[in-house]
Amino acid sequence: MVLAAGLFALAAAGAATGAQAQTMSYQQAGALLAKSCGPDITKYCANVNLGGGKLLGCLDANASKVASKCKADFVAVKASITKRVMAQQAIFKVCNADAARLCQGIVPGDGNLISCLVEATKVVSKACNQTITDAGWR
Amino acid sequence: MTSLMLRGGLVAALAMSLAAIAVPAAAQTDLSNAQIVQGLQNLTQDAPVVTAASLRQAALDHATMYSGPAAQRPPLAIQLDKLAQINVQIQFKLNSAIILPDSYATIGSIADALHNPVLQGYKFIITGNTDTTGTREINLKLSQERADAVMEALTTTFNVNPARLEAVGLGEEALQDTKNPESPVNRRVQIFNVGPLKR
Repeated sequence: MVLAAGLFALAAAGAATGAQAQTMSYQQAGALLAKSCGPDITKYCANVNLGGGKLLGCLDANASKVASKCKADFVAVKASITKRVMAQQAIFKVCNADAARLCQGIVPGDGNLISCLVEATKVVSKACNQTITDAGWR
Repeated sequence: MTSLMLRGGLVAALAMSLAAIAVPAAAQTDLSNAQIVQGLQNLTQDAPVVTAASLRQAALDHATMYSGPAAQRPPLAIQLDKLAQINVQIQFKLNSAIILPDSYATIGSIADALHNPVLQGYKFIITGNTDTTGTREINLKLSQERADAVMEALTTTFNVNPARLEAVGLGEEALQDTKNPESPVNRRVQIFNVGPLKR
């Protein structure tokens, strides 16, 4: 998740100041990249694939020509995905006490604990609720 | 959409459909997250044990053993239709494994499903499939490269745990519509649930 250097770093500084209420879904992230960066990808990075950081590297190498909206949205997408991944990783720690309190007898696995916690939203702690939201699991 | 489906055009058509076991040609334009998750979680008792290696070998064996017209070839030795699965159509550059921006959202929607808590404890095989245009050898190679590209996007850009995914190119060896082997419905990416992730 290392951001490429160059102009994208500047855009990152700008994006970080805005508060993010909700993380975007991966589908939304993909759609936003296609919309904001599609023309530049077709023009400058037509032989570069989405994965492995190669697309970001190519757009960065062409930063002087790439639309500013593309740069800003790419950074926003990366930030949102990072936030979502961190929430998914943190969830069992953050929600441990809630699960012990509210989901006794639930067999862990297959999403059982998460659905228990989502059903119990009204009485789940604020931190746990926020983490579930950030994880995209609502 | 019809114009995009023309063979020789830059891209294949974009559509997604549940791998409707009985109705191969049914293609919807979009699938909701819930539909994808549902398609991938319906594990059956008699699902065969499938590994990427065995599937790759089955495709290769099929390509070498049956040289007749596509409509007369028997199905692949491994019965994939018993696995929980979805079918998606991803737009690639012609004769290339480059995923076109138009399909980024589709890859994202697969990532959403794979990140769903219901599916997080499971492993998946991504298969690439072509129609019968071109040689079988090239189709095996191209479909492997395309499946690899989808897997790479999922495991890097969209953060799916690489231990949960494997990619297999099936070439033209597992046609969806054997009566119309050159039909674009055969050009597709499939995702199969191959059981719990070993811890």
